[in-house]
Amino acid sequence: MKSKWWAPYAFLAIPLTVYTVWVIVPIFRTMILSFTDWDGLSASYNFIGLRNFLALFHDRVFLTSLINNVKWLVGFSLVAVPAGLGLAMLFNRQLRGASVFKTMIFLPMTLSFVVIGQMWSWILEPRQGILNMVLRALGLGAIAKPWLSDPAIVTYALIGVALWRQISYSMILFLAGLKNVSPALVEAAYVDGAGAWQRFWYLVLPLLRPATIIAVTVNIIDSLRAFDIIYVMTRGGPFYSSSVMANYMYIEAFNNYRMGYGSAIAVIQFIITFGFIAVYIIHSLRGEEK
Amino acid sequence: MRKVTLVVLGIVLLLGFAGLAKQTIVLNSYMSDPAPKAALEQLVQNFEAANPDYSVVVNTFAHEDFKTLLRTWLPMEKAPDVVTWFAGERMRYFASQGLLEPLSTVFGEDGFTSYFPSSFKSSCEYGGETYFLPQSWYWWGVYYRKSIFQSLGIQVPVTWAQFLNACDKIKSASYIPITIGTKYLWTAAGWFDYLDLRVNGFSFHMDLTAGKIPYTDPRVKKVFEYWGQLVAKDYFIKDHAAYSWQEAANYLFTGKAAMYLMGQFIFDAAPEAVKSDLGFFRVPVIDGSLGLYEETPIDGFMIPANATNKDGAKLFLKYIASKEAQESFAVQLGRLAANKDVAPPDVQAQQGLDMILASDGVSQFYDRDTNPEMATAGMNGFVEFMMYPDRLDSILQQLENKRLEIFGK
Repeated sequence: MKSKWWAPYAFLAIPLTVYTVWVIVPIFRTMILSFTDWDGLSASYNFIGLRNFLALFHDRVFLTSLINNVKWLVGFSLVAVPAGLGLAMLFNRQLRGASVFKTMIFLPMTLSFVVIGQMWSWILEPRQGILNMVLRALGLGAIAKPWLSDPAIVTYALIGVALWRQISYSMILFLAGLKNVSPALVEAAYVDGAGAWQRFWYLVLPLLRPATIIAVTVNIIDSLRAFDIIYVMTRGGPFYSSSVMANYMYIEAFNNYRMGYGSAIAVIQFIITFGFIAVYIIHSLRGEEK
Repeated sequence: MRKVTLVVLGIVLLLGFAGLAKQTIVLNSYMSDPAPKAALEQLVQNFEAANPDYSVVVNTFAHEDFKTLLRTWLPMEKAPDVVTWFAGERMRYFASQGLLEPLSTVFGEDGFTSYFPSSFKSSCEYGGETYFLPQSWYWWGVYYRKSIFQSLGIQVPVTWAQFLNACDKIKSASYIPITIGTKYLWTAAGWFDYLDLRVNGFSFHMDLTAGKIPYTDPRVKKVFEYWGQLVAKDYFIKDHAAYSWQEAANYLFTGKAAMYLMGQFIFDAAPEAVKSDLGFFRVPVIDGSLGLYEETPIDGFMIPANATNKDGAKLFLKYIASKEAQESFAVQLGRLAANKDVAPPDVQAQQGLDMILASDGVSQFYDRDTNPEMATAGMNGFVEFMMYPDRLDSILQQLENKRLEIFGK
């Protein structure tokens, strides 16, 4: 029977149209706007070439935001991924009550970032927040910090809060990956006399490669689009010290009426994020060819 | 069978017409604190009772979110019919873009001044046309706990020296002299505005907010010298950037802090038991040769140019302007009504009104008197100064760069 070559495209027509209208077109529109001085309100605007982009690199707040995004990226990929893997390894064994612990660690995943942000703002409140109160009660008053108002530590406090959710997310990804690691192989290695570390390093980890790539990519993308927690907990403050690109873009576009400038920030963020996604896609395509 | 069908059809049609006859007015409001929200709800109910043909749908948004959302509603094809907003520059910004509906027809032949004091006119106008309907206004002052002042034997300070002295006494008694929450920035602008008005006077302040004076001017720097005296002695609450204005007010309400420079709306948040212990005084005088100037922000309503039901919106605003409606709102919140026929609702409001009447001029507020982008940059700079006073020169230089970028065009 001869298959109709156009059948798959017919099925794809609706999703592709929706995707074009709601994703592709806005991306190009944002790119066009990034070359303008539009305020988001006027009927007309002027094209000003690369002025927005040039201004960005003299903009102290943008550079702070960019550096903060790098901190988020490092935090997510160097903490969330290994910690998620560690937890997944722990829960993958026959452990009494494993499902109870798994559920507990998975719980933050079910909360939205806005709820997490609000909750942690109370926990981290400098005078009456539970964290500082516990620290003081334990005689560790010296460690009690104004977590959300000290420019030197505020970004790390925010990353810490985000990790609370991100680690459990990574754990789920690795647990799913571990389902594909055949117990027979691990047993065979055991019989051959491989130690626990050897079994992990030379057997399980290579088999987890696809899961690891997904976990790293997802974490990188999540770290670059960080917004909700910052918006709820500090609005990028004090004086922009915890700002990230997404947050600064929002303030410039919607608070300061500089849609053109905000679009330029969005374009830079898009290019960076797209770079990471491209690496991931190329990698996974190569994997399929093999 | 046919009869039944006809009857059913008749009922459906009747109901349909009844539904059609009721017009909807969509009101988007930033009155998210419980007290003002209830006061507005009351006005809506009274309006609907008097105008049974209309139903008002109130959408309430958190105050801080509203400020960014309004921008997205105004250009929409179906904008809300009525929105709450602030008089002055923040209104003019939208009026200048043609996004607001002129309100002259709301006031009829008697005009704006038959309802409101003529001194309000300029804050509600753009290009000679009224776009803003004032509802209430309030004064700013240093709110303080009478009991703390009493127990320490402190008199209400009138001069700067007395004020510093009071702060010192309060601090040695291990209270927090001044509480403030700068997470949302604008509270810091209250201090800047008042110190500038007290150090440099009214016309200088208005020129500065209009972008006509460099932020690097030595007179601006002088404002921060006075502010710095309070910062250097740790008179402000620690970690103020972690708090919203309400969270910081809590330290005043629980008796841990003694003073808070704030608008009258602090009463909306105060617990009943504390209200009688909460007084206010005029921000102390620094330069006796200058007049006394105060901040009196005006809150009210606008109609978007793209509103769907403009006639209904205007009818609603006409009601809001009325003595009855203004009185109801003012009495419930202890604010001053914009309508000139409404007397101050209580002793404190009378006291506030007397303070304003005795003043030599009034400004709105930093973020209502200057360009929105300048306001964001300025207020961030003020908070940075409160945390790192040593950075003053670089902060002022950055603000000056911003001013040139915005007003230099």
